[in-house]
Amino acid sequence: MIRFENVTKSYRGSVVALRDVSLEVTQGEFVFVVGTSGSGKTTMLRLLLREERIDRGRIWVAGRDIGRLPKWRIPYLRRNLGFVFQDFRLLPNKTVFENVAFSLQVIGRPRQIINTQVPQVLELVGLSQKAGRHPDELSGGEQQRVGIARAFVNRPLILLADEPTGNLDPTTSQEIMGLLDRINRTGTTVVMASHDASVVDMMRRRVIEIDSGTIIRDQARGSYGTDSSSSSSRGVPVVTVSAGVGAGPGDAGVRSPRRRR
Amino acid sequence: MPVSIGYVTRETATNLWRNRLMALAAVLTVGVSLSLVGTALLLRQAVNNQLSVLNANVNLQIFMRAGASTPETNAMRSLIAETHQIKSYRYLDHQQSYEDAVQLFRAAGEPAAISALTPATTPPVFQCTLVHPGEAATVAHIFDGQAGVYHVAYPAKSIHDLASLSNILQIVLLGLAIVLLISAIVLILNAIRMAIFARRREVGVMRLVGATSWFIRLPFMVEGLLQGLVGAALAVGIVLLGDLGIKALLHRFPEFATAVVPSHDVLVTEILVVVTGIVVGVGGSAMAVRRFLDV
Repeated sequence: MIRFENVTKSYRGSVVALRDVSLEVTQGEFVFVVGTSGSGKTTMLRLLLREERIDRGRIWVAGRDIGRLPKWRIPYLRRNLGFVFQDFRLLPNKTVFENVAFSLQVIGRPRQIINTQVPQVLELVGLSQKAGRHPDELSGGEQQRVGIARAFVNRPLILLADEPTGNLDPTTSQEIMGLLDRINRTGTTVVMASHDASVVDMMRRRVIEIDSGTIIRDQARGSYGTDSSSSSSRGVPVVTVSAGVGAGPGDAGVRSPRRRR
Repeated sequence: MPVSIGYVTRETATNLWRNRLMALAAVLTVGVSLSLVGTALLLRQAVNNQLSVLNANVNLQIFMRAGASTPETNAMRSLIAETHQIKSYRYLDHQQSYEDAVQLFRAAGEPAAISALTPATTPPVFQCTLVHPGEAATVAHIFDGQAGVYHVAYPAKSIHDLASLSNILQIVLLGLAIVLLISAIVLILNAIRMAIFARRREVGVMRLVGATSWFIRLPFMVEGLLQGLVGAALAVGIVLLGDLGIKALLHRFPEFATAVVPSHDVLVTEILVVVTGIVVGVGGSAMAVRRFLDV
């Protein structure tokens, strides 16, 4: 479903965001990408959307070499990918229903499809009763459910989530993870960047850890920090992680190169 | 790419309403600048028409009084024959002079003016060709004030005056129009930029869920196009009014009746004004979209 082949990406020549990264994610997998801020997690997700171009290597998404995609095909690539943000990014002047419907409208879906798919996905995320509310009338957890509904309503092959629980309390985070798990069980591949140790540890799914643009760990049923009881299953040697990284979601003391242009 | 008309209309209407002050400024500027363009073009047409008549190998016209007697006319005939500076002449009596005028008015597309003329009221005229057209003023002096003479016209001078005056006017009008057109483009560009900024969240979501770039751009482009078109419509109205005013004015100066611009030339000018409006609107919004809409 996703394959990185020796991918290198640097910004403005100097800051290397990803260095010679190779990995493969098969259909239906649930993958956490962990690492400190600036380690390259967000870059990975942005590369999958082709928001950025890579310097070297190749990225395959759903059997397509996305580096070779002509510009006008990019929207069609993105229709296969759902994206969930840390800060929800809902449209404040639209209701819950309209927010979800918006992502179908703007890719030209006919109204009858919108009118059947939106209620279905709102049912899935448990917000059928709040379809007519505006985002500012919802709790953070509910807002993120809307965000997930919007990302999933077009039934993407892959759901990408960039720290979806970053703004939520632990209980709400668990609910959101339950929802992502249910979506994953429908066969949708889920790739989630996170530095929330508790949700990663709770799920016990594949964990890819990045540090300074390099994969330093790839575990089948991993936790947030290094777990000595489980070993690498994907041919990538487990590297001893330097002190501080394994200690939790703390960013303190870690150099964080500027990620954006 | 299925872009629904309803969607574009709704989006454009919301954008325009949210940004109505900027939109108004842009529309008015387009209107004023295109009015100037239209006026300059019509002026040019009018002057060219007048010049083409004046240049038609006649350097001096001696209009006799409508009631001039035969002896007076004969005296004039011999006086002209004695004048060395005149190479040749043609005498048009009442009837011929009337037919000549009718032809001129018809060419100018002014059938209304014809009905006001009768052969009896049309002055007979000696149309003289000079050896040296530059001497028109001197020659005119000889005939001015002779018995039976109504008016001596020597267009060489008016040609020169008219041409240089109209050139200056055209340059001033077109210069102003260009400055205003540029500011119209900038105003539209800015209006669209603000619309893009106001909708950056929507645009961000659209990009990520896979809306095509044209789907995202179209409402903004249509907004610019509309501003250009409404401005052009305003200018079309102003130019039409101006044309009517000028025609009314020209009726009072029969000498310049031939300067009247035929209606099909006015139509061409109006079409040009509308096309320029479209170009300004689409151009301004296209620049804004290229520059500020990252899709």
